[in-house]
Amino acid sequence: MLTVNSTQIAGRYNPKPYYEIDTPFIAAHHWPLVLIELALSRGVEEHKLLRGTGIFCEDIAHHNVYLSPQQCFQLIHNAQKYSAQADLSFLLGHRLFLDNIEATAAIANSHSLQDALDMLVAHVPLLSPFLAPRLSYEQDRLVIYWQDACGAENAQIFLLEMMATALSSLTRWQTGSNLPWQFYFTHCTPTHIEQYQVHLRTQPYSHSKVRFNAPVNAMAIERAHLHLPWKKSNPELAADARTAMTLNAPVFQQGFLAETYNYLLNNIQHAPNLEQTAADFSMSSASFKRKLKKHHSHFQAQYDLVRRDLAIKWLNQGGLTHEQVAQKLHFYDAANLRRAFKKWTGKLPQAMARLD
Amino acid sequence: MLKHHKWKLFFVGMGANCVLLAGLAMADIKSWSEINWLDVLSEGGAASLALVWLLLILHSRPAGRVTQFLSLGLGCVFIAGFQDCLDEFLRFPEATYWDHWIESGLMPIGLVLLTLGIYHWHKEQLSITEQLRKREQLFREHRGLDFTTNLNGAEYLRKQLAQTLAVQDQANATLALLFIDVDSFSEINRRYGHQQGDHLLQALGELILLNIRRQDLLCRYAGDRFALVLPNTGRLVAETIAQEISATVKHFAYKSHTQGESLFHSVSIGLALSNPENNSADGPAELIERATLALLANKEKRSKDIYNHALGCAA
Repeated sequence: MLTVNSTQIAGRYNPKPYYEIDTPFIAAHHWPLVLIELALSRGVEEHKLLRGTGIFCEDIAHHNVYLSPQQCFQLIHNAQKYSAQADLSFLLGHRLFLDNIEATAAIANSHSLQDALDMLVAHVPLLSPFLAPRLSYEQDRLVIYWQDACGAENAQIFLLEMMATALSSLTRWQTGSNLPWQFYFTHCTPTHIEQYQVHLRTQPYSHSKVRFNAPVNAMAIERAHLHLPWKKSNPELAADARTAMTLNAPVFQQGFLAETYNYLLNNIQHAPNLEQTAADFSMSSASFKRKLKKHHSHFQAQYDLVRRDLAIKWLNQGGLTHEQVAQKLHFYDAANLRRAFKKWTGKLPQAMARLD
Repeated sequence: MLKHHKWKLFFVGMGANCVLLAGLAMADIKSWSEINWLDVLSEGGAASLALVWLLLILHSRPAGRVTQFLSLGLGCVFIAGFQDCLDEFLRFPEATYWDHWIESGLMPIGLVLLTLGIYHWHKEQLSITEQLRKREQLFREHRGLDFTTNLNGAEYLRKQLAQTLAVQDQANATLALLFIDVDSFSEINRRYGHQQGDHLLQALGELILLNIRRQDLLCRYAGDRFALVLPNTGRLVAETIAQEISATVKHFAYKSHTQGESLFHSVSIGLALSNPENNSADGPAELIERATLALLANKEKRSKDIYNHALGCAA
């Protein structure tokens, strides 16, 4: 029997510094400026675009304005509302890593896909602040799971489209061909499906596919593509950019929700609960709850998210019975696990084959 | 609006003002109990709606003959309605007739002018529709209009295909759908900037429009992909049109805005034909899918050809 409330359990994962939905750290002259320019060039009026964001175009020119995720979400919301064009996220995605600016030169000039993804994971606040990427090597392919890092809510679909386009556009430029990415989105088939077809180059019957209503937000690729050398990279530029990036790296690595997820994932064997988690995050339960609420979430939702992902992983790997998985995830019995699993994914565990 | 139409607005305002002043000068104000509020509401409402229409028309239209007629007509209707509404508050002496003349005289004159305006508007609309012919057919939907190219988008294409396919299947005719994709468009964006890319797309759209028939329809599917609907067209004609477009684009020397140098492009085209014998299985989605597959196959083949050609040159 585990003594849950003890703080002295060996091997416990302790939370690392994190950023919150109102932490200003996103350089406004990077992609937010690109988004503003795109929206303005599509006829959106400036005052409408910036309404409620607290951003002023004159300030951005000074190059030392930093935005919080909240401001970015509001900007995305306004841009979508007033431009009425569904391609903004995709256009932004194409430019995200390839607009030769210093911040992204390092990832654009990686020497292989593996290298680029390692960099993406290592520099989340700079390269993917809103969606935390998680790499998972499953059999013959690599799956990148996207997880809401700090409560994106309505902006999430926009951000998923942007990041999926950014990675597929980067690999297309570097390899000169369309890599057979598979895309998974939890949202249902959107009305602007044509944007997915054209910008992500997906087709139902060809090698590159997109699936909606999927249990997770992810993209996957065969592992054979990971180590093929990229020819268009400039190693000197990459080295300089890497040095600059490491020097300027912020103290935090992950968003608050992503770090909560990390904590729960790594401490699942200790059956984490709200009190203990709050204590480990050095705050009272009430403060922790408030902070989760600020990020549009609550403890049970985060805990279930971790358990869902672990259940999918363990069941896919095989070798564990439902009883064993239920026990590891602190369910009373296998029947309870099955019920919860049905609720999370809409399917029973037995029907949950590999993500494909 | 003020710049183009200040005199029209001025005269409408002056007219209403004169009516009000003359009324106040000559008539007595009714007491509260004499006022019929239902009449005030309906007559005042009619007058203010006429004013709203007038403002909307002035706001959305350039100056010209049709706008003259419409604004003159609506101006008269408004002033007549305004006088009618004033009647509810003022009691005119028995001997005055001008108030009746304004009320009952201006209204028919205004309506006649308005009718004339609408008639000419109708004529004008027919000629605009003729101009827009290759951009829209069967129905109009301004919400899907693409900002960059002024072409309709994918949603419009799907609806249009659904309607056209039904007609075509009944007539037992085939419909061809071409997907036209600009080769290495992302490279252009990267090298010359996105504004250039947008301009190029716009120019290519115009260029393709010049090369298609009266009954054909061009849409911007998404990104750098155009969709061309060719009703009543078999494989042979569709392939000819595709080759013509491809050749035109190849010879089109687009000038970059910064340096003014010529940029040459090529397009890949995917063709799909509807199947009138087997119409149950052929909806817009299937047709679009087949055209996309054809396009991707064509693109792959072309990039191999270019590669082989480069090898041949090197050897």
